Amino acid sequence: MPQMGVSVAEGTITAWRKRPGDWVERDEVIVEISTDKVETEVPSPAAGRVAELLVEEGATVDVGTLLATIDTGSKPGQPHADESDPPPPSRVRTETNGNGTATKPAAPNGKAPPVSPVVRRIAEEHEVDLSAVSGTGRRGRVTKKDLLAFVEQAGDGRAKAERPLHTESPYKEEAVPRAPAPALDSGEGEGEGEQLSVMRRQIGEHMVRSLQTAAHCTTIVEADMTAIEAARGRLSYLPLVARATIAALREHPRLNATLEGDRLLVHDEVHLGIAVSLGEEGLIVPVVHNAHELSHEGLGARIKDLAMRARAKQLSPDEVRGATFTITNPGRYGALLATPIINQPQVAILDLEAVVKRPVVVSDGQGGDSIAIRPMTYFCMSWDHRALDGVGAAEFLGTVKRHVEGWSD
Amino acid sequence: MPEITYLEAISDGLREEMRHDSSVFCMGEDIGEFGGAFKVTDGFFEEFGANRVWDTPLAENAIVGAAVGAAVEGLRPVCEMQFADFIACGFDQLVNVAAKMYYRQGLAVPMVVRLPSGGGFSGGPFHSQNPEAWFLQSPGLKVVAPSTAQDAKGLLASAIRDPNPVLYLEHKNLYRRVKGDVAEGRYQTPMGELRLAREGTDLTVVSYGAMVHTALEATEDIDGASVEVLDLRTLCPLDRDGILESVRKTSKVVVLHEATRSCGVGAEVASLIAEEAFEDLDGPVVRVTAPDVPIPFSPPLERAVLPQVDDVKEACRELLAY
Amino acid sequence: MATTTARPAALDPHQHLAREAWLTVDDRRELMRYMLLMRATEERALTLYRQGKVPGSYYDGRGQEAVSVGSAFALSPRDRACILHRDLGAHLLRGVRPGRVLAQMMGRAGGLTGGRDGNMHFGDKDLGCVGMVSMLPDMAPVACGLALAFQMRGEPRVAMTWFGDGSTANGQWHEAMNVAGVRKLPVVFVLENNQYAYSTPNSREFVVDPIERAGAYGFHGVKVDGNDVEAVFQASAEACERARQGGGPTLIEAETMRMHGHGAHDDMSYVPPEMLEEWSRRDPIENYEALLGDAGEVDLDSLREEVTAELDSETDWALAQKMPDPSTATGGVFATADPVMGDGKAPWSRWAKEVSNA
Repeated sequence: MPQMGVSVAEGTITAWRKRPGDWVERDEVIVEISTDKVETEVPSPAAGRVAELLVEEGATVDVGTLLATIDTGSKPGQPHADESDPPPPSRVRTETNGNGTATKPAAPNGKAPPVSPVVRRIAEEHEVDLSAVSGTGRRGRVTKKDLLAFVEQAGDGRAKAERPLHTESPYKEEAVPRAPAPALDSGEGEGEGEQLSVMRRQIGEHMVRSLQTAAHCTTIVEADMTAIEAARGRLSYLPLVARATIAALREHPRLNATLEGDRLLVHDEVHLGIAVSLGEEGLIVPVVHNAHELSHEGLGARIKDLAMRARAKQLSPDEVRGATFTITNPGRYGALLATPIINQPQVAILDLEAVVKRPVVVSDGQGGDSIAIRPMTYFCMSWDHRALDGVGAAEFLGTVKRHVEGWSD
Repeated sequence: MPEITYLEAISDGLREEMRHDSSVFCMGEDIGEFGGAFKVTDGFFEEFGANRVWDTPLAENAIVGAAVGAAVEGLRPVCEMQFADFIACGFDQLVNVAAKMYYRQGLAVPMVVRLPSGGGFSGGPFHSQNPEAWFLQSPGLKVVAPSTAQDAKGLLASAIRDPNPVLYLEHKNLYRRVKGDVAEGRYQTPMGELRLAREGTDLTVVSYGAMVHTALEATEDIDGASVEVLDLRTLCPLDRDGILESVRKTSKVVVLHEATRSCGVGAEVASLIAEEAFEDLDGPVVRVTAPDVPIPFSPPLERAVLPQVDDVKEACRELLAY
Repeated sequence: MATTTARPAALDPHQHLAREAWLTVDDRRELMRYMLLMRATEERALTLYRQGKVPGSYYDGRGQEAVSVGSAFALSPRDRACILHRDLGAHLLRGVRPGRVLAQMMGRAGGLTGGRDGNMHFGDKDLGCVGMVSMLPDMAPVACGLALAFQMRGEPRVAMTWFGDGSTANGQWHEAMNVAGVRKLPVVFVLENNQYAYSTPNSREFVVDPIERAGAYGFHGVKVDGNDVEAVFQASAEACERARQGGGPTLIEAETMRMHGHGAHDDMSYVPPEMLEEWSRRDPIENYEALLGDAGEVDLDSLREEVTAELDSETDWALAQKMPDPSTATGGVFATADPVMGDGKAPWSRWAKEVSNA
């Protein structure tokens, strides 16, 4: 299991692309894995025939765990078991340490001669029964030379069987298609339903945990987006609102914080998480690190790049870690209000909903009011009542609104 | 290409480097007008002068320490210890000052210490040692040990150009016994790469220095077996890949060195193989070395201690038959 | 090769009149400033040590400030120095910031060795300094090597190194002294005789006054009052001049007293209290302050304030430095390029004059 990021400790096998017996080229994708919601294709480190898959799909193992073995000594053209056949279980395995029916004369001290590591490995690869090989080594040991000569002469154990004994039958177990994972119990007669994908499960776990951990409240502030509209050009609203939010976070640092247990850590730098939808598959929150150093154009460029790579499954786990504040922006779908769930362990999340033209009351400087048509939106921020109070939340949002409405380049 | 001795090749390499770069200079006892105890610097005093061929007082720590100071100031000193054994008298400067300077201070120390090593001529306990393993335990030092005339010249040049302290083990017993076709002019033999002295398929002998020749002689014909002989040439950094590649091919290994047994280069190579090539082994890794004993003086005693051709033959035969 | 062992001329109170030619008012101010800076840095480091911020041991040179400051003041930018653990003044004179020294002590990544070596085992190669090792006096042969390079290239440059009274018992000291004498190397050996090698008093270390050995190895030796910064400077400047002009090495024995223990862990109970009492009256900083105060040339108060302010900001910087990344521990064992040593600062006004006259 490769380590896909500095602090990644485990990964999940999403799908094997090769089966035992398949040939794989060096750098050809051999398996798909998921680490911390990031899906990655893993290229094979070597060319060869896949010998054994050691971890099944859906299993989660520690980084460094051996996932599969590849026989690099084989050649592409060699005959191999059919892709859908599991290795025939009736083959007799290597005999060692005097167990089983050794046909060689026992060594003078009664112990059978040892099998050296290389002999054992080669015998396994070629599925040779060592008891059938005569040894010229010390104490009648089968040497590497002996085994290689045997394999060359007698052929690969898998290609040419020994003469079957009376008790062995040519019957081969039929390949059984992999059964799907058991369906959730959704009641009688409702059909099997679908198992949630790894990503869905992970998102779900995070959301449930967040709701169970934080004391969620949502505060909503309305803002006039006229200035933003004038300034944004071809950019979407998001980078400009992000810039305004960052400015507000500098003024209200306690919202740029993470809460773990009782410890509130207020951060100097703003690492801004931006929620990116992956369509039906789910969502992911890549992070713009050191966002406070970027202009709105810079933010726009970074967000675009991260979103593109997120959808192409090219993010590294370090790019989804370390956010101090999150913005989610499903606004283009037309919804007006939302109560987002906080991205743990941050203390707040800002949801940017649709910008809609509405008639609003505007005041001129001299106390007169009139009706104007303005592009308006709601900033919906969910926040953790363990870390701050309604006043703090409202003040922060007020500052965001102020920056947005007073936007100037 | 002229055929010259191992000794002449060392001289030649040193001379070429000194001609090429005036910052290269020699320091050691009796290396000036006397030309050195083994005549490696014969003629150097006349060609390069007293400034660049310094007859030092009998003070190994001062020699090595001064070499450090000169090296960090941009010169390239080549120190000669009259016998490798005497490095013990300069050990402190080598191991505590030279070796650690770059790691601690980021200050490179481009210096070479030439060590005439090895026995076989009744030199006794203080003139016959092969002390290379001491330096493998001192991170920051590189160690080379050529066995051929060609490599003697090329490795010395590499050592001189390397920005690190390099110990150059020249085996005294090879000085005049080994000859080779050595190219004229300057050339460098890369450090960290072993040389395939003979290709084979049944068994590998890993060796360096004088023992490479013993290995070749001993395994020329062992009942028709095809024996591969590796000449490590560089002991630190070790050519791990080269060693492992050979092990994968032959699956049987004898490690041979003249130095004493415990914690020697052989121990390091054997461990490396056990750790990294376990599944390629068709037999235990065997070491043929001098036993853990000071090298004795009287010929029959010395012969009993230093690995001989027959010792190597026997070990190989046994492993081949395993 | 005639040598003279000068008697302690520096004890002559009128001596400083002859020094007018060497030192300007600004030079004097600088001498004072560096002594103050050394003491302030070491006091701050000791505080940090007692606050548990300094791993391992802590060594300082309290009471010996005049030795390193006075001697290093004579160096020109292109000279080289192998500086020992009681000679922080020399590092500071060459241009090392106190903050980097403190970070070094605390094992931070921003320290002078990136945490790879501790306490005073550092030397900023960019300022022409080679860092010491624990074995003493291993830097003496190295200084000979530096001097050898200068001599071979015919350069008027000097290598200076320091060592203590205990070192003179060691074989390497004798090898270095001998080699320096045989080759007439442009090296200046500063022997800080601070009366003790850890707990061993001089009487148990040798039976010949070390300064006598200079003559025994064939070169000039001079003994000075190590607590008189101008006397130390005078002897060092003369020694450097001698070296530059091919006159060979000099051994300067600077008599002083180690006012703290061997390290912060040492309560120095083996030192007779009367001895400490006597030497405390000869504190190099206080005495120089009195001298400068009498002459009225230097504003000592503003100098002290300056130094304190500098230490405050340097300490803040040092405390803000991060600890080194463990994954870097095994790298950087072998160099991939030849060494490049830089030149150090040299505040002595002589050098500025020489540059402007060039």
